[in-house]
Parts: sequence; C-alpha cells; structure tokens
Amino acid sequence: MQHPNSYDVIVIGGGHAGTEAALAAARTGAQTLLLTQNVETIGQMSCNPAIGGIGKSHLVREIDALDGIMAKAADAAGIQFRVLNARKGPAVRATRAQTDRALYRQAIRHAVESQPGLDVFQQSVVDLIVVGERVRGVRTQMGLDFIGSAVVLTTGTFLGGKIHIGEANHAGGRAGDAPSIALAERLRALPFRVGRLKTGTPPRIDGRSVDFNVMEEQPGDEPRPVMSFLSTQADQPRQVSCYITHTNERTHEIIAGALDRSPLFSGTIEGTGPRYCPSIEDKVVRFADKTSHQIFVEPEGLGTHELYPNGISTSLPFDVQIAYVRSIRGFEQAHITRPGYAIEYDFFDPRDLQYSLETRAIEGLFFAGQINGTTGYEEAAAQGLLAGLNAARSVAGKPAWCPRRDEAYIGVLIDDLINLGTNEPYRMFTSRAEYRLRLREDNADQRLTPLGRDLGLVGDKRWQAFEQKTRGLAELSERLDKTLVRPGSDLAQTLFAASGQSVSKETSLAAFLKRPEVRPEDLQLALGDVDVGLLLQATIELKYEGYIARQADEIERIRKHEKIRLPDDIDYRSVEGLSNELREKLEHHRPDTLARAARIPGMTPAALSLLLVQSKRRAQLGG
Amino acid sequence: MSPDKPKLLDDTIVAVATAAGVGGVGVVRLSGSDARRIAVEITGRRFEARKATLAEFRDAQGELIDSGLVLCFDDGASYTGEETVEFQGHGSPVALQMIVDTCLAFGARLARPGEFTERSFSNGRMDLAQAEAVADLISSGSAAAVKGAARSLSGVFSDRVRDLGDVLLRLRVYLEADIDFPDEEVDALADGEVERTLREMLERLGVLLGEAQSGVRLAQGASVAIVGAPNAGKSSLLNALSGEQAAIVTDIPGTTRDVLKVDLVLNGLPVRLVDTAGLRETTDPVEQEGVRRALAQLTDADLVIYLRDASAPLLQIPPAWLADALQVMEVWNKADLVDEPDAGMVSVRTGAGLGALTARITEALGHKADASAFTARQRHVQSLRACVAALEAALGIAVLRQHSELIAEEVRLAHRHLGEIVGEVTSDDLLGEIFSTFCIGK
Repeated sequence: MQHPNSYDVIVIGGGHAGTEAALAAARTGAQTLLLTQNVETIGQMSCNPAIGGIGKSHLVREIDALDGIMAKAADAAGIQFRVLNARKGPAVRATRAQTDRALYRQAIRHAVESQPGLDVFQQSVVDLIVVGERVRGVRTQMGLDFIGSAVVLTTGTFLGGKIHIGEANHAGGRAGDAPSIALAERLRALPFRVGRLKTGTPPRIDGRSVDFNVMEEQPGDEPRPVMSFLSTQADQPRQVSCYITHTNERTHEIIAGALDRSPLFSGTIEGTGPRYCPSIEDKVVRFADKTSHQIFVEPEGLGTHELYPNGISTSLPFDVQIAYVRSIRGFEQAHITRPGYAIEYDFFDPRDLQYSLETRAIEGLFFAGQINGTTGYEEAAAQGLLAGLNAARSVAGKPAWCPRRDEAYIGVLIDDLINLGTNEPYRMFTSRAEYRLRLREDNADQRLTPLGRDLGLVGDKRWQAFEQKTRGLAELSERLDKTLVRPGSDLAQTLFAASGQSVSKETSLAAFLKRPEVRPEDLQLALGDVDVGLLLQATIELKYEGYIARQADEIERIRKHEKIRLPDDIDYRSVEGLSNELREKLEHHRPDTLARAARIPGMTPAALSLLLVQSKRRAQLGG
Repeated sequence: MSPDKPKLLDDTIVAVATAAGVGGVGVVRLSGSDARRIAVEITGRRFEARKATLAEFRDAQGELIDSGLVLCFDDGASYTGEETVEFQGHGSPVALQMIVDTCLAFGARLARPGEFTERSFSNGRMDLAQAEAVADLISSGSAAAVKGAARSLSGVFSDRVRDLGDVLLRLRVYLEADIDFPDEEVDALADGEVERTLREMLERLGVLLGEAQSGVRLAQGASVAIVGAPNAGKSSLLNALSGEQAAIVTDIPGTTRDVLKVDLVLNGLPVRLVDTAGLRETTDPVEQEGVRRALAQLTDADLVIYLRDASAPLLQIPPAWLADALQVMEVWNKADLVDEPDAGMVSVRTGAGLGALTARITEALGHKADASAFTARQRHVQSLRACVAALEAALGIAVLRQHSELIAEEVRLAHRHLGEIVGEVTSDDLLGEIFSTFCIGK
C-alpha cells in the first residue's frame, strides 16, 4: 500500500547523519520523514561514548553554527569535558565531551520530536522506488510505500553488516541489531561502486569489578568548556572522571600468542580498518617494540557502571579477550559485560557523489555518513546536515550549497571525499585543513551562521545571540584600536603590573595585545568591565592576523580556479598532452572546476594548463 | 570550428634537433599522430619501430634532398611520449631545412622552442625539474652548461631537493602528530629537536641555494658589471675581454648612453659584461637618471669589478655606489705605467694579467670547470629562497617553545615551496607517514 502522506524529503536512518539530515531539511521548511528500524535507537552512539576531539570538535561547532543539534546534545549529555591541545595555539584547541549514552539519545530524540514539519516512522526500508534515473520514494519491509521527492540514505554500518568475534561471525548492523541485507542487495544492483570497510569496538567492562585506585584519574577541565555557542555550564549534567591505565608485556604476549585465531590476521576480514584507530592486536604486531599502550577508561554514563576501555578494540576470540583484559593493571578481576567485536560493512565510493552529496547516478538520492566511507559521529552528522539541506533545496528548485575548504572543516571533509575518495574509514584531522588557522572552534559562528541564516537553517534564537556577539566583538575591537597607551600613564603602569611589558612610545591596546608575551587576561584589569570570551576571541584574531592575511592570496587564486568550469562531457581520453594516468583519474573524478582538478593527486601544473586551454577552447566554441 | 583549422594540442610538430652548423650528422625530429604518415610520404617506405633504416628523403615534388637513417618510435615509447620519427641526414643546414619544409608541406607544424620537451613533460615522461634541464641542455651554448644540464637531467638536483623534502616531511610528521594526537605522548617542542632540525635544514638549503644560483648562471649567464673612475680603462677592459671571444655587442634600449652590455663566454661560463661608462657624480637631472640606472645594474650584477687606475691610486668612486653590490672585486689596471706592479695587477693595453683576471672572475662567480654544477632555473632559486624564508620564520617561533601550530604553518609553506620543484606532498601522504611512525589510536 501507499502511505497517504507524501514528503519532500525522506531520510532513512536515525543515527547521527540521519537525525541532522532530517532536522536540517525540516528547518528549511521541507515536509520531512525520518524512517528508522527502531525509534528507541535514534541518536544511538554505537562506538565510544564521546563527542568532539581534535578536528572533530571543529565539525561539531560548525554544525552548531548552522543550528544543528549535535553540540547541544553533547552539552546535555556531557559528563566530563576537556580542552585538548590547551597548551597549543587556539586554532588547534579542541573540546571533547565524554557523554552519557542515554542522555545523548534522549536529547536527540527530544529534538527530533520537537521539530515542526518532521515525522518519524519505524520500519525497515527494503527498496528504493526509482523511476527512470530519479528516485520517487521508498518501500518498507511490510510493503508500505512512501512517496518522496528526495531520499537521504544514512544507513551507517548496517548495509551488509557482518560481525566478527574470533573465528565466529554473523550478520549484524551493530551488536544487538539486524543489518539491512535487502536494501544492500538492492543498492548493489544500482550503478554505484561498492567497497568494504571494517571497524571495531573493545569489550565493555563492569565498573564494579575494576580497581580505580591503581589507575591515574583524569578529571575534566576547569573552567569547564561548553560545546554549543548557545550553552552554558548550567545545561550540563553532573561531572565524573575518566581513568588511564596501560597494557603491559604480559598483555602483549597473550595477544601475540592468539593471532592465529584473529579474523584480522587469518584473512577472514576483507575490509580495511582505520590506521589511526587500530585494534590492540594490530598495535602489538605493527609496533612490536612498544611494551605498553595507553588505555582510557571511560564511563558509559551516570546511570550505569559499564565502562568503555578506549584503546583495546579487538576481534579476538572471547576467551583471549578475558585473558588479556585481566592482565591489565586495575582490570585483574574485570568482568566483561559485552565482548569486543569487529564489524565489516559496505560503503559506496564517495567519488560517485556531487558536492551536494546527491548521487551522480540517481537524481534526488543523497548519501550521508558511514555509507560514504567516513567514520565518527561528527563526520556523519556534518554530512547529514549538508545532505538534508541540499535534498530540501533540490526539491525547492534551489541550487546546492557546500562550504569551501577555506570556510569550514565541512568543506574540507566533502571536498576530500568527493575528490579523493577513501580506502580506509575517513576521519577528520586538523592537518587535513590547509587553512586551519582560520577554521577555528571560536569563530565557527562567524564563518557560518550568517550563511546558515541565508539558507534558512538558523533560527531566530541563535541569530539574535549571534548578532549580539558580533556587535560586542566589533565594539571591543574598536576599543582596542582606539585606546592608546602612553608611556608613563596610569594605563601603562596597570598593564606593566599585569604583563611585565612596557611601552616606549604611544601604542594602541590592539598593538600591545598583539605582542607574543602579552596574554588577554593581562588586559582585563585595564579594560574593566569586559566579556572574557569576546576578549579571548579578539586576541586570537589579532595574533593570527598576519598569517590569515597571507593565506588570503592563496585562497584568492584558488577561487579564480573555482570559477573556471570544466564541462561535464569532456572526453579526457582525447585531450592530447595528458599522461594516461591523469586521463584515467580525470575520467574517474570528472572535476567540475579547475580548482577541484588541481586537488586530484598527481596533478601537474602542465596538465592544469592543458585543462585550462580545453575549457577556454570550449568556451570559445560556445560550449 | 572550421575543418582546416589545426587542433591546439594533438598536431604534429617538426624541428631540426641538432645545433645549427655543427658536425657531420643533422637530425630532424617529427612528433605527433601524423609523424609516421609524413615519414612514408617523404621516403616512400614503411618503418619498424626502433630500427634504423636507410632511406632516401624526397621533397613534395619528388626531388631528392638527401639520404640517411630513419628511426621510428611508437606512441608511448618515445622521448615525447608520442609517435616520433627522426631523420638523420648529413649535417648541411640547407638540406635539414629542406626536410623540415617538406614535413610542413605534408601537414606538420614548426615546433616552438622547447615544445618537444613540453610534450614529453605533459605526457608524464619526466618531472618538471628534468624537463627544464632538457630545455637548458638544448639551449645551452657552453660546454660547462651542457655538463651541468646533463647532471640535472639525471636527477642530481631533484634528488637533493627530495632529500631535503624528506627531512621536512619527517619534521612535519612530528609537529602534526603532536597537534592531531595530543593523547599520544608526543611533545614536539620539549626536547629542542624541532629547532635542531630547522637549523640543519637551513644550513643544507644554504648550500643548495648557493649551487642553484651558480646553476642559474650556467643556464642564463652570470652578469658582471665594470665600474671605476673616468679613464680607469673600463671600456678598454670590456673590449679586451670580448675581443678574445667572439662577442656580440648589444645596445640596451633606453639606456644606450649609460650602459653597454656584451655577452661572452669566459672559461666555458656564459657571462654578460655590463659597462657603466656613464656612471659619474653629477647635478644634471638628466644625467642623474642615467646614474640611477647604472647603479641599478650594479645592484643586479652577480659580480662588480671595481677598476682602479694604478697610476692614479687616489682616484676613487663614491663608496655609496658599491653599497648594494652583491660581490665586489677590486682590479688595478695600467700595470704598465707603474714601476713595480703588484701581483694581480693587469694592463689592458699590453694584455698582461688578463688570463689570470679571467680565472679570478669565473672563480668569483662560483664556477669551477669541473664543479658539480647543475642548471637550475630562476624558478628553483626563488622556490628555495621562499623555503628558506619560511623556515627562518619557523625557527623564530620554535625558539619561543610555543605555538607549534604556527611553526607547522611555516613548515607547511616551506614544504610547498620545495614541492614547486619536485611535486607536492598531500596531507594524506603526511597522515600516512604519521600512522607508520607513531602508534596512534585509542
């Protein structure tokens, strides 16, 4: 049967990509349906219970700047907050929240259920309704059809999911949940390139069986950071500590002795795992000279004793898991509540997507999240927001939007995926962002909130808060520029007392603050009543000013290249002067602009000039 | 597009491949998709790839031009990467030109300078540094430059830049791992390793830059300016040096009355001699402009010869004129007018000491006849200089032992400048190195 409601946008999957996609589509006014196998697992964290971290928190702040839900949910669920890289420069500082799984799920579900224009329905999707080369809706397990103009697929690891524990394996989307086999088969029949990836989790441990006294306690940071631009500490629940322990030579012996029973080394697992998140057996093999590895012992939540021992994910047989866990200091009596496992799943080559995250092959069909080869809640949510937005825009007949690499980590993420694809689960790092000095946590709102407002993503509450911050920052900057410090003046003495820095000639406060030796807090007394957050941000802008100005030239050049469009139908095989290797790569990637062609690995300046000639020649011939 | 209009990139090009007027054998090279067809038209024969075949060369009217060997290379297996034919005839420039004209008549196009190399590069047959070395090899007019170009072509220069790139990559791996994996107990700034590496890099880059600069002189010729008080013998010295060599005297537009330039080869090194005859102290505004231009020549010159008059040792030029010069060599002229001339004095009039002076000049320009010099374009020198500047900035921050993200930014820039010479390193390459160096991951 056909459901009586028809939708603009149908989102399949209730994970981090799916919920942001559904919320974003609905925020811009699209009639939206969220279809999930299980309403109870909306917003479920399948892997470690944490949001943020290096590179990832930047994505979270950007999602927040576009009025997404992730940062607010992390504040509502965060039970330990830290600022990573606090001793390094502000561009690479990153907020990380240890979260309570249940609280996080609640926060997400509450947001979904409060969103006007968004319906939720529980059914497994078994098929896409495709007419010609355009998607028209989806069919669920019970034979129910939903008609929709655009479909966003966010099925995570559920497509063809297979779980490995030692020599045993079974089909599964996540421990305890069924995979989407029918949909995977259906999608494999469509013209997408499919690959296989692998990820893993550690065994979970009952906290009552653990001796915390022999471990190093890791409390949260004070002052406690917040994740969302709109949150305060009052939005956060009770705080607890994490703990650190280590593997030892005995642990490594046990693991080394059981490698023949690991599906990773026996060849049973075909998928590629992430290099930055290796299983413990991988670490023991690849870094044999290291006799110890760190384990972060993270609480799963306030209402449970269960622990997540971060750093020992595994697919070894269960008896080996018990043995090596109990060889670790503090875990001698540990009771494992859930075995660790590895999961293999299908992903679709993101190079088959456009920058809107719409597939090239099927009009109206969008992919977001792990299905595109990424890992991480934050990477998934960022794609979800973008796919939901662009699905709604395509239905409304508006052009797609994607931030540039110099505007947002979201832009870096999408650009990397679409241009380069990936052969391991893709995770964000700050080193992927060449303009990271300008892509900071503190200015994510300044970079994106005005754009988000224009796109219809940003609600009134956030917009008012943003306008207020912008005014405050402008006033403070003017004050710093116009306040002059004269040698010998009271002001100069106050500043000298705070910073130990003196002025030899009349100097603006801004110039004084720019000195490497001067910290923002040194100005607090001199400025009197000042918003500390704004002062900190004004300081960052001043200290990075020169670097950011220098990057502007580079960005300008790339923007020019972005304006040079490469027609869809160029036959690169017939472009003389290109090497065969580059011909194949160009045929494969089909970049839409010269700037994107420049990001294809192995591209040479000479080849770019050939492409430039091609595009100019075509332009002269009238396309 | 009109049907007879030649395509931009897939046409067939032709040129004489051997130097004009040289040797007993001359080569005409033809490259492009029509190369074989044209060879058949000219010789009336078919050819196997990579097999030298004796044939007669005839023009479009069937008249015999010459006879010689023909060599064919298949698409993908030639120097340019395209279908290529080489006609090896007798070295007569007239005969070679007739073969070229015949190729043109059968549809080929005359190659632009360096176009074979450009195609070779475009087809992925060589990297940029190698391609430029070939261009230099072709255009070099001196024996030493040929040797240097051959060295660069074999990858000596590229290899050394790559070695430095590897050091920079390891440094970045260290800095970036510290930034992206703060829980992994890497502290890039704690032990001073970053500073040490930066200092070592700067030292090695300094050496490479010095050699690259003499490489530029090999490829483009060094410039030497002669300066001195009136009547010190500047023009005579210029004439004497160029008189021994077959020099071309050129007037420089706009500066005719102030500066004269002469291109010549000294001990195998191409040198441009600049005579600043118009340089004198003056209050006349027109002449002041001339002085300003002449002074600019001094600043640009790789070497300034300050010619002194041994018979009038008190005659000097204002010291300010030489303040910006890169390198100044004082030479005493008119040894013949002095009773007991010092060693190293010259007499332009009698020719005494000129041979030794030539040796001094080429040595000052960093050129030794058997030096491991290589050609390096001005571009390379610029890239290396930019790399040095970025690393110096990085060192300036590193000594503060904070802001590793700014050090990383400067080192990223430095790395990119090296990449301009031998190809870029992507952030993915960098991450790959991090993962194989450190045991990363919770």
